[in-house]
Amino acid sequence: MKIKLTFWKIVAAIIFVLGLYATVIRFAVGLGAATSLTDTFPWGIWIGFDVLVGVGLAAGGFVIAATVHIFNLEKYKPIARPAILTAFLGYLLVVIAILFDLGLPFRIWHPLIMWNPHSVMFEVGWCVTLYTIVLALEFSPMVFERFNMKVPLKLIRTIYLPIVIVGVLLSTLHQSSLGTLYVIVPDKLYGLWYSPFLPVFFFIMAIAAGLAMTIIESFLSYRAFGKRLEKDLLEGLGRVIVVVLAIYLVFKIQDLNSRGNLELVFRFSRESVLFWGEIGLGVILPMVLLFVERIRVKETWLFFSALMVVIGFVVGRLNVSITGMLHSETYFPKWTELIITVALIALGFVIFSLAVKHLNVFPKEENESAGSEVVPHAQKPVFTGNLVMVIWTFLLIGMIAFGLTKQYSHAEAGTEMSGGVTRLADPSDAEVTLPDDIEYTGDSDPDDWPGDVIFSHESHVYAQDSVSCANCHLEDFKIIREKIDREIMLMDAMYEGKSCGSCHDGEKAFSSEECEMCHIPAP
Amino acid sequence: MSYGILTDLTRCIGCKACVMACKEINGLPKTEVLKLDGNNWTAVEQVNGVNIRRQCMHCDDPTCVSVCPVAALQKTEAGPVIYLEERCMGCRYCVMACPFEIPKYQWNETLPRVQKCIMCYDNLVSKGEQPACTSVCPTGATIFGDREELMDVARERFKNNPGLYVDHIYGEHEAGGTSVIYLSDVPFEQLGFKVMKSDAAYPKLTWDVLSQIPNIVSVGGVTMFGIWWIINRRVKLEKVRNGEMTEEEAFGIAKDE
Repeated sequence: MKIKLTFWKIVAAIIFVLGLYATVIRFAVGLGAATSLTDTFPWGIWIGFDVLVGVGLAAGGFVIAATVHIFNLEKYKPIARPAILTAFLGYLLVVIAILFDLGLPFRIWHPLIMWNPHSVMFEVGWCVTLYTIVLALEFSPMVFERFNMKVPLKLIRTIYLPIVIVGVLLSTLHQSSLGTLYVIVPDKLYGLWYSPFLPVFFFIMAIAAGLAMTIIESFLSYRAFGKRLEKDLLEGLGRVIVVVLAIYLVFKIQDLNSRGNLELVFRFSRESVLFWGEIGLGVILPMVLLFVERIRVKETWLFFSALMVVIGFVVGRLNVSITGMLHSETYFPKWTELIITVALIALGFVIFSLAVKHLNVFPKEENESAGSEVVPHAQKPVFTGNLVMVIWTFLLIGMIAFGLTKQYSHAEAGTEMSGGVTRLADPSDAEVTLPDDIEYTGDSDPDDWPGDVIFSHESHVYAQDSVSCANCHLEDFKIIREKIDREIMLMDAMYEGKSCGSCHDGEKAFSSEECEMCHIPAP
Repeated sequence: MSYGILTDLTRCIGCKACVMACKEINGLPKTEVLKLDGNNWTAVEQVNGVNIRRQCMHCDDPTCVSVCPVAALQKTEAGPVIYLEERCMGCRYCVMACPFEIPKYQWNETLPRVQKCIMCYDNLVSKGEQPACTSVCPTGATIFGDREELMDVARERFKNNPGLYVDHIYGEHEAGGTSVIYLSDVPFEQLGFKVMKSDAAYPKLTWDVLSQIPNIVSVGGVTMFGIWWIINRRVKLEKVRNGEMTEEEAFGIAKDE
């Protein structure tokens, strides 16, 4: 145990050092250096994974809180606190991830005072802010108990129900609104995922993933901290997940069908393979496994099924935010993006274990809820080499690897056009109105002045193959300002290759040392 | 009265005077211009031998204005969609959502901003002058004016040059209509112009969802409180029946009878 602990500590330390280095790159150099993001693909995994997945997996907090406090299902109370703690940590990490992703992170508070109620992100910003406060309040009793603060504890218990109700409302709003973010891009999101019902899909899947996450977290706590495994409660959650997944599946198929996109599912492409990874391995398979009671009651299988739901959920969110988005073939996350994501997850684990150590997160062993089977700590579930699990793992890895090859992408390939086009008009026929000639007269000693210069736009433009204003107006000559800057019209500048000398160098055009070519001597 | 810009691709000779004028008036670095990016608010792209001046379309009901969480992008009465950089927090939702893929970002700045054409609103249009780009065009391929009058100009050109143009004014209906409109002799879809699934403006898609929020909050709040009240009462009644609680403890008041 001691060696294992040290091993994980070393891993965490390496992750944090690399994460710190990546953080320096991100804030000292900029988004371009720290990410693979471009103008064609402006949202990467910091949005697709850290925010969309992070918020979704934290949904266990509001679902369990509602179960216990609104539906009064007291038997689920033992898992309420860990679920709320996970959610609270999850949201804090999401906020940190947003700080990394925002171009100007010190303005993160702007949506709170600069309103645009038509913006989905404005709504998400408000809801996430308020819900993080709600979660802090839901979490606060654990801190108050620790320091034995009776007055605030009593106060928070009085208003606990309204807080939970507000929390459920806020969660419903922003869990779905993360999907609404993509409702405005019908032409950019692939047909397998675009739907005006994205908010509904995001909400339903958040419930399934949040519950699955609660199961996984209970198993991990049981293994890591020797906490009691509330097996019958987790099995109950497994049953709920079956119902939620079934609703999702039926709705999803119906939606694809009504949009005429069902055939995309059976068309071989990068998108369809990852769609099967999401729906086949992440929804249908765990649904079947959890449906069969004989399988569900086995803790290894319960854990494995919950893991499938979570990984399927992750693939699903990445499908919407990355695979399905236009130009996704141009994007693959840089190591800095990946390491910051991993570091945030590691940070979550560290804080969670600290909280478990110092706060009353898990119920004390003595108030044993009736019927819950206590698995002795010594008997850790051992994963036997089950064929289904092995196949599932390999299939999933294979599908993701295939998705990364990007060769079979059905997304539109940008603006590249094959073959020529027939032009009906010939723009070279267009009547070109050139600016007037410009006359330069000497203002210095007339004896030194070699003669006036008349610059003709016409002779200059037609000396070139095609009319190009940018050739001269790129560097020295302003195009809008009417008065020419006398400084740049000095002969010394021209001899140095500036001003007229940038072309009149004796190669591109005659040399600027040939005075009489431009200067007309006074008669 | 709303202003617009008409760009006639049959007259564009690709001289890039508009690009240079844009860079001058807006103080953008004068680099080689190939496409729109953080340094170029307008660019002349060559697609299949056709010169296409790209710029912000200045939609009548702009997607970017709808998605911006801090209202940093705004549609002015005069037509231009402007950018209030002091509000922007850098979420890049505008870059992600714009159906024409116009807004660009300064990826290599430590304090980056969104970059896009604002139709010279601050410098010229708000003072009654025309934008820099249209003022320098030597062939009149890109002209500025009242949007409705420009539509008339476009239809006039259709009439006077039968068979020359494709029968489509790009921007008349796209994304619900745009202030910037295009004429071409080559079908627009062959030139990399976006083909939309529908001509409706985009902001309605998300507003249809967002406008449900008051309903969700009020109905949801009342429903949840109701569920709690009913279940809680049943639990208490159960306890009273089992003798675990007195009625007084459960309901606060002693019942009659």
